Amino acid sequence: MNAFRYDGSTEGMFSAIDHILRNEFDPAAVSLARQGLSLFDEGVFLPTDTARASTLLRRFSAAFPENAREVMYCVFSEKEGLETALLHYMHMVSLHGSGIGAYLTHPVVHDVHVLARKVAREAHRLKGLLRFSMLADGSYLARMEPDFNIIQPLSSFFTRRLRTQDWFICDVRRGLVSRWDGKRLEYGTLESFRTPELAEEERDVRRCWKTFFDTIAIPERKNDRLQKSFMPMKYWKYLVEKE
Amino acid sequence: MDTLEKLRILSGSARYDASCSSSGSSRNGGEGTLGNACSGGICHSWSDDGRCISLLKVLFSNDCRYDCAYCVNRSSNPVPRASFDVDELVGLVVKFYRRNYIEGLFLSSAVMKSPDDTMERMVNVVRKLRRDERFFGYVHLKVIPGCSPHLLRQAGLFADRLSVNIELPSEASLNILAPQKKREAILEPMAFLGSAIGESRRERRRDRRAERFSPAGQSTQMIIGASPESDYQILSLSQGLYRKMNLKRVYYSAYVPVNEDNRLPVLATPPLLREHRLYQADWLLRNYGFSADEILSEEHPQLDEKLDPKAAWALRHPEFFPVDVNCADYAMLLRIPGLGVTSARRIVSARRFAPVTPEGLKKIGVVMKRARYFITCSGKPVERLFDRPAMIRDRLLLAENLPSATPLKQRQLNLF
Repeated sequence: MNAFRYDGSTEGMFSAIDHILRNEFDPAAVSLARQGLSLFDEGVFLPTDTARASTLLRRFSAAFPENAREVMYCVFSEKEGLETALLHYMHMVSLHGSGIGAYLTHPVVHDVHVLARKVAREAHRLKGLLRFSMLADGSYLARMEPDFNIIQPLSSFFTRRLRTQDWFICDVRRGLVSRWDGKRLEYGTLESFRTPELAEEERDVRRCWKTFFDTIAIPERKNDRLQKSFMPMKYWKYLVEKE
Repeated sequence: MDTLEKLRILSGSARYDASCSSSGSSRNGGEGTLGNACSGGICHSWSDDGRCISLLKVLFSNDCRYDCAYCVNRSSNPVPRASFDVDELVGLVVKFYRRNYIEGLFLSSAVMKSPDDTMERMVNVVRKLRRDERFFGYVHLKVIPGCSPHLLRQAGLFADRLSVNIELPSEASLNILAPQKKREAILEPMAFLGSAIGESRRERRRDRRAERFSPAGQSTQMIIGASPESDYQILSLSQGLYRKMNLKRVYYSAYVPVNEDNRLPVLATPPLLREHRLYQADWLLRNYGFSADEILSEEHPQLDEKLDPKAAWALRHPEFFPVDVNCADYAMLLRIPGLGVTSARRIVSARRFAPVTPEGLKKIGVVMKRARYFITCSGKPVERLFDRPAMIRDRLLLAENLPSATPLKQRQLNLF
């Protein structure tokens, strides 16, 4: 099996995949991994070419939007050692068309699908569980610590939903921030996080929400296990109703 | 009274409404609008009883002139009464929505002065949300039985979903437990909504700009276990509602005793398992092509509490099984226990590439602990028990950790 290496960045991975899909006779027999995982790396190093990576992504998403979505969600998972599976998946899709995504009994299709769904599930969950707080200057801030790096799909969801207010979403553990000012969405990084001052009405609104949360449950039907299975405790840290 | 106290009273009395779905409608606002609605629906939290919270579920008022036996807000109950102001409630919805606490509003109400007076106030809330706040989130409005058609029409243009509660599964029970509510006052608005929704769908197929009337359809709710109707009667009623009234959902709410009243049964706990089985059977009606007569009958009017209704049907009909997953059509795949709508669809797609094996079925997401007794893969059975339904039943119960049908001793004797 031919082995290739890349520098570990997302652009590096997609430019390597592009190189392999174009130049290798049988991409299905090729492996791809990030460089430096072991002392004696084997395989040819492919340099990062940002333009090449974005061209590949643009073409692939235009031709196979559903499959491209699965690929991107796998990238958001930040799972190690995934490159070969993504390479083979993109190869299969370009060879057989988007319909191959339904071949769920195939190991490559299955692995990509399962991982993409895991990430998509967390993104969907946080669409509901993310809590914004109003700050003293009238903008809104939401903090989160998701398992996967899902700030991108979440931010684009909220630009459509909360388009008339200024907001920030902060991934506390990764130090990533996105900001919407009513017109444009920007991404940035954060060295350290200082809790800003909250708006005056914030305390009252939170109290209202907590009251609603407590009284909406029927005491005779109390079921903690069911609650936790839908709303795992790892998300409670930033939930107003679970403070 | 301040908003917090009103919220405590009016959400506390709204909690017995089972529905909290926010699906089935998609709205996309433009410049300057607040929010949108996702057709899949989004849950924003889960309450301590494990039920999803996606909407701010409140009553407009709990000041009721009716005296229904099962209801916490009946006029003879000495509970604190409160009513929202229109502006107050609108403000609360917007504040919650901007913080991403909710997907929208579920508004119901006790009947205050008259059905029309109450309904009009509720319509005012939605009108203000849509017109003044330019709110594009989800709104579910509960129709007050007996209100005039012109209010229904307005409500349908502003809300995503409307519903009229049936409350009890038969007219006889309604007469005993809710003597001031009349069957016609419930069914008439339901029929009106059914035809208005159908009309608006047809209209929109001709012209995409035509006004939408209750785009997420209509639903209803009935209380289970407060009156003597059988599961068969309840399911037949639901089936009628789906077929004749064009309903999207029927919600079943296990009766929670909140009042002392000798017209009501005495229950130690709400019949939650029965409610669960009814929901399962309801899914079979809506999504799996079953009819009520296949699930139950006059002779067997109650659902089996231990087995899910689809497995129970399969065990009563060994003549349909085993089914070969590699050649059966979609409708037949749906009838295999352990297979849902998604996995059946996935099997149909995946077998175009290669025959599906038991391993592949697991990958697709089939629940093999149930399906294994009812299928073959290209002629090869997974288990050879097709002709012994009693044994399959035992194994199914065992797999669900439920006490077996046959006593353990007797089964052990069979081994020697």
